[in-house]
Amino acid sequence: MKLVRDVLDKQLIDRENCEMGRVSGLIMHVGEKSQPRITHIVIGGETLWMRIHPMLGRISKRLARWWGPKRDGPVRIPWSRVETVGRDIKLDVRARETGAIDWEIWIARHIIEHIPGGGEKGEEEE
Amino acid sequence: MSKALQIALGIITSIGGFLEIGSVVTAAQAGAAFGYQLLWAILLGVLCLIFLVEMSGRLAAVSKHTIVDAMRERFGFPFFSIVLLGIVLVAFLVLVAELGGIGLSLQILTGIGFPWWAIPVSFGVWALMWKGTFSLIENGASLLGLFTIAFVVAAVKLHPDGASTAHGLLPTFPGEDKAKYGFTAVSILGASISPYLMYFYSSGAIEDEWDESYIPINRFIATFGMSFGGLLSMAVLVAAALALQPKGIDVDKFEQAALLMTTALPKWGFYLFGIAMLFACLGAALEISLAIAYFFAQGLGWNWSENLQPSKDARFSFVYTIIIFLAAIPLVMGVDPIKVTLMGMALTAATLPLAIVPFLFLMNDPIYLGEHRNGWISNSVVAIVILISFVLAVVSIPLQVLGS
Amino acid sequence: MILKRPLVVPLLVIAACKSPTPAEQMDSVISWLGTAGMVGDAWLRHTTPDKYTRQTLELSHDTLLQIADDLLKSPPSGIDTASLDSVLTRSRGRVAQMARLVEAKDAPGFSTQLDSLRADQKIVKRFSDGIESRQ
Repeated sequence: MKLVRDVLDKQLIDRENCEMGRVSGLIMHVGEKSQPRITHIVIGGETLWMRIHPMLGRISKRLARWWGPKRDGPVRIPWSRVETVGRDIKLDVRARETGAIDWEIWIARHIIEHIPGGGEKGEEEE
Repeated sequence: MSKALQIALGIITSIGGFLEIGSVVTAAQAGAAFGYQLLWAILLGVLCLIFLVEMSGRLAAVSKHTIVDAMRERFGFPFFSIVLLGIVLVAFLVLVAELGGIGLSLQILTGIGFPWWAIPVSFGVWALMWKGTFSLIENGASLLGLFTIAFVVAAVKLHPDGASTAHGLLPTFPGEDKAKYGFTAVSILGASISPYLMYFYSSGAIEDEWDESYIPINRFIATFGMSFGGLLSMAVLVAAALALQPKGIDVDKFEQAALLMTTALPKWGFYLFGIAMLFACLGAALEISLAIAYFFAQGLGWNWSENLQPSKDARFSFVYTIIIFLAAIPLVMGVDPIKVTLMGMALTAATLPLAIVPFLFLMNDPIYLGEHRNGWISNSVVAIVILISFVLAVVSIPLQVLGS
Repeated sequence: MILKRPLVVPLLVIAACKSPTPAEQMDSVISWLGTAGMVGDAWLRHTTPDKYTRQTLELSHDTLLQIADDLLKSPPSGIDTASLDSVLTRSRGRVAQMARLVEAKDAPGFSTQLDSLRADQKIVKRFSDGIESRQ
């Protein structure tokens, strides 16, 4: 598998066919005597912006503290949860439980649902 | 819906959705200043657009990716962020121009100044996006845009000379005002070859769930839809050449463009102009707002669809809400939409390489298109477009300094 | 290519500040007198509504005033500046009067002013041709 071509920046879909962002980065384990292997997929603005410049990553992290859902670092999905890698990457997870769509939920509940016609109140977070 | 009906609807909506403030103002300026001489610029722009739109539809139908999806995956986030910045900034300027176009149309029809219309117009556009579906926006707005066929009626009624019109389809050098001629040509090309149209079209193909069986339909719609649309632009140029140029009138303000059809259609010409521009700019404003929201959502992997309730694709809905609100601000402050239009067209021309170079790579990538990759004709046309757009990017800046 | 894009905005600002030549200014005068004439014709034929006609005439007047001010600050050489100023002032006055006559819905009075405006347009055209031939 070619990681940059087949994995990085690919669309992630959960088991309910919800779009849960794109692969921002990968965490790999490099052992002394073993082949490098992917351990986690990373989804998150900070990781994404760091790919352009580390300073942008730090700014993104600082801004996220002031506004939006509170998180400790970017979302990490274990590679073991990957079902298929094709046009998109299908994951055996529920997007809500991973934190990958925290921003989506936050904007829906704090902004969109307060505007008439925006839609019903969402489910309570588990 | 049968395939024949889909083709018909696709062509009609392409025609109805073709004209907007940029193409009308630039064509009117060209006709008023240079007669038929710049018809070739419209022809070239439309030819390029046919190929680019066909490719956009083919990419979506075969790969089930929009252009933005494919660009993010193929080129990575750092490159994508540069394209995002460039394209979105220019598209935003064009959105301001289109909202201004709606305001100016209402101004000439009611006498109430366009800054007063900025907020109600922006709210109206936003409300259509908020409550509407993709089908309503694509088809409804474009069908209303068919009022722009009035330009063809006006042009024909003015009895254009066939030989001179045909001569105008071949590039010529002007005797005088070379800088202004060049800048006007650049603006026409920038108005015709709009990247946001490609992004909107490929997103629409995904919204409409196109697959490989739609490739022939796509070809038909792109060819005939854009060709007939281009005829509308040419009609505006011809009408300006015959109605305004003999009186020495240059089109610097919207009020001057409003006189385009008054000679040919004395009873209804003025009102048809106002109504046609109102609907044309409305359709364009909806398209651009959607295109910008698609760009963010697809590029960053969010949930997106115009057919979903806003809370189900919250970030997507939030983006178009914010940009429409922001686009109203310059208009409330009285910034002239015509000046914004001309700046937007020149900047569109300047940023075309940013949109088209990656697109060429995608259209030749077997991972996305398999056996439906570009042939040598499509590649040649796109390569020529890239060359022209690169020359435009280099030339349009000093031409803007000399010719505006 | 990337470098050129940051240059666009400051160059466009410079462009906005570039002064037009006297020939270009005269072209603008002809354009706006033509606009006033065309909208006047259209109003008399009941093609355009009162509000739009009046607003366009007022816009023509204001634009002509601005161009004339700029033109006469540094007038082109070899031109009878006093005569040029006189015809520009007169034609502007006619356009302003036409706007008032639209409000009063005085079509005969409007028609008279429009005929006089056409005569002024011919004089302005001769000045414009003179300036162009000197460039």
